[in-house]
Amino acid sequence: MTECASCADERAAGAAFCESCGRSLAAGPACPHCGAAGAVGEDGYCEQCGMLAVRPRDHLEVDGGEVAAAATDRGQRHHRNEDAMWLAVRGGDVDVVVCDGVSSSFDPDVASATAAGAAGEMLASTGDVGEAILTAKQAVAELATDGDPRRAVSNPACTIVAAVVRGPEVTYGWIGDSRAYWIPGEGPAEQLTEDDSWATHVIALGVDPEVAMRDPKAHAITGWLGADAGSVQPRAASFTVTEPGHLVLCSDGLWNYLTDPAAFAAAVRTGLHEHGTLINAARYLTDYANNAGGADNITVALIPVQPSAAEE
Amino acid sequence: MSYTAEAFQNEYLALGAAEVNAIVTVTSSGSEGGRRTSGATEIIIVDASGSMQAEGRINAARQAAKAAVACIDDGVHFAIIAGVGTAQQLFPAPGQLAVASPQTRSEASWSIDRLQASGGTAMGAWLLLAAQLLAQRPGDISHAILLTDGDNGERQGYLESVLDSIAGRFTVDSRGVGTNWKVSELRKIADAMLGTVDIVAQPADLTASFEQMMTNAMGKTSADVQLKIWTPVNSSVRFVKQVEPQVADLTGKRVPDGPRAARYPLGAWGKESRDYHICVDVAPGSAGDEMLAARVSVVEGDTVHAQSLVRAVWTDDTALSTRINRQVAHYTGQAELADAIQAGIEARKSGDDRTATLKFGRAAQLAHASGNTATEELLATVVEIEDAATGTVRLRRKVAAADEMALDTRSTKTVRVGRGQ
Repeated sequence: MTECASCADERAAGAAFCESCGRSLAAGPACPHCGAAGAVGEDGYCEQCGMLAVRPRDHLEVDGGEVAAAATDRGQRHHRNEDAMWLAVRGGDVDVVVCDGVSSSFDPDVASATAAGAAGEMLASTGDVGEAILTAKQAVAELATDGDPRRAVSNPACTIVAAVVRGPEVTYGWIGDSRAYWIPGEGPAEQLTEDDSWATHVIALGVDPEVAMRDPKAHAITGWLGADAGSVQPRAASFTVTEPGHLVLCSDGLWNYLTDPAAFAAAVRTGLHEHGTLINAARYLTDYANNAGGADNITVALIPVQPSAAEE
Repeated sequence: MSYTAEAFQNEYLALGAAEVNAIVTVTSSGSEGGRRTSGATEIIIVDASGSMQAEGRINAARQAAKAAVACIDDGVHFAIIAGVGTAQQLFPAPGQLAVASPQTRSEASWSIDRLQASGGTAMGAWLLLAAQLLAQRPGDISHAILLTDGDNGERQGYLESVLDSIAGRFTVDSRGVGTNWKVSELRKIADAMLGTVDIVAQPADLTASFEQMMTNAMGKTSADVQLKIWTPVNSSVRFVKQVEPQVADLTGKRVPDGPRAARYPLGAWGKESRDYHICVDVAPGSAGDEMLAARVSVVEGDTVHAQSLVRAVWTDDTALSTRINRQVAHYTGQAELADAIQAGIEARKSGDDRTATLKFGRAAQLAHASGNTATEELLATVVEIEDAATGTVRLRRKVAAADEMALDTRSTKTVRVGRGQ
């Protein structure tokens, strides 16, 4: 006999629903695609319709309360989330990493998860952003030689942006086109990072930004983590906050829909003001990108930073 | 036995696409120390019809049968059937199975020397007797060797009805000696009984052929291995084909197993590796959807030895969906190669030279492109290959019957493609 745990009404084994309260009697979760109760098998596929029901990385959140929050989402078009993130909160200290797998490489989702994990652990032990990115670079490069021939042919690769916040001190570093922004109390967002991308490169050489961004190669990145990354070195910088604001790290799945710095800042502020908590604001931003088309995976991390008491 | 099952496919499908293809490679490391996990029984069926007197065939068949008996391991059950207008058991006593030992092997040899050729050909009756003898040893690795030199003399449809009743109970490897037998008849037996078929044009080569078949049979360590395929609702298995070492369509051998699964018999297994092409029709998903199109398991009874997943991921990224998987493309070509050769032979026989030239041309092209040199060489005995790359061939005026039959029987032999993507 199968017993409904909620209303203790016994029913014949095999019944899909409790006839008293209507709850599913099956042990497993219902399939989100066909609705079959308890049909999701051990390998994550629905035993009924075959659809992949359990994809843990489709939407993940880290809620650091008032100190920090981050969210990552698969988006609308990609079949898996190849972004990865790391957010660690210790008292007021924050370590944060956002990585975006390079879709044209093999197993980019593994690359991003490996990089975020390796960099995050290094940040926790040393707080050194440059060292953390180099550690991540080494870890991702090693994926190409772990025995899978497909990884050797097209080595896993990803971008990285990492930051540590210690009181009013913010240190950040990056390789690729995942970005860090500073959102002051008012005015447009300040882009802290400079993309390692074809568009950024030719704009620096004098090409009109609008023309450069319209080029199909605009988003081709010129720096990444991976076995074929060459001698690329992370760029890093730090600053001391003098007025309250928010540090935002994100993948191009978000900033592609908010290329204008004023619009970016406005979207972040709307999230913060209208949705109360940091995690709700992060969720608002992933929803924003999804509503705009969700063409890529979306990851965003929000960290409020205050100036030190002496400067106030 | 330790098995592995590995799927090779391009899981990315264009939006709206509903056909999922994968090559599943099943490899067994064999049982520990090569010991059988069950008993084994061998039946040797030797055609003793009157025509076997020609070209010293009956004498060659005696030598070959004795050589095969010498290859039977101690402890394996065996019997020998003399094939005439009826089935007569030559060794041991009618209705009995012998247990191989130095003594029974020498007694069998003595009996074989007394085999005389006189009478007709009745393959259905021969196989029926083999089935009755093998039924005494359920659970054994059951295998028979059938040798013939002529057409089946039984009434039309009898062999087919026998095959229907015994299919899947044991494996039969068939050999035709000379050129007066029909490839289509022995292929029917091979298809139904999951065995091989080949021509032994020269009686002198029979001994080597029998030794090879028996040695191969002795290498089998598991009796009844099956492929179990689960598919989701609103989807169906379009075909399941063994594509290496030779093409064999298993689609019709489907035995339902639960609401969404079915089993396909793979016969006995030793230390070996085989490739299967599985094609599933599914309901298309939307962009980003990932579906399990098939869960393919290697099973023996209730034991699952290995499992592999065939997936479908729909994407609007054409760079992904247009990737061609080398394994799938290669074996699709090998199956087409076998079909083209058989169609070419059929057309040539019916006097349709135009179709024959077309089919053989396509076959030459496929054999060349896939590096199947053995088949390309066999083709060259039937047609002059002017340019294999473009498939330009000319029919040869005079073709030796043995060459054409060799091409026909071996048309299903495939080669493997280099691995890695």
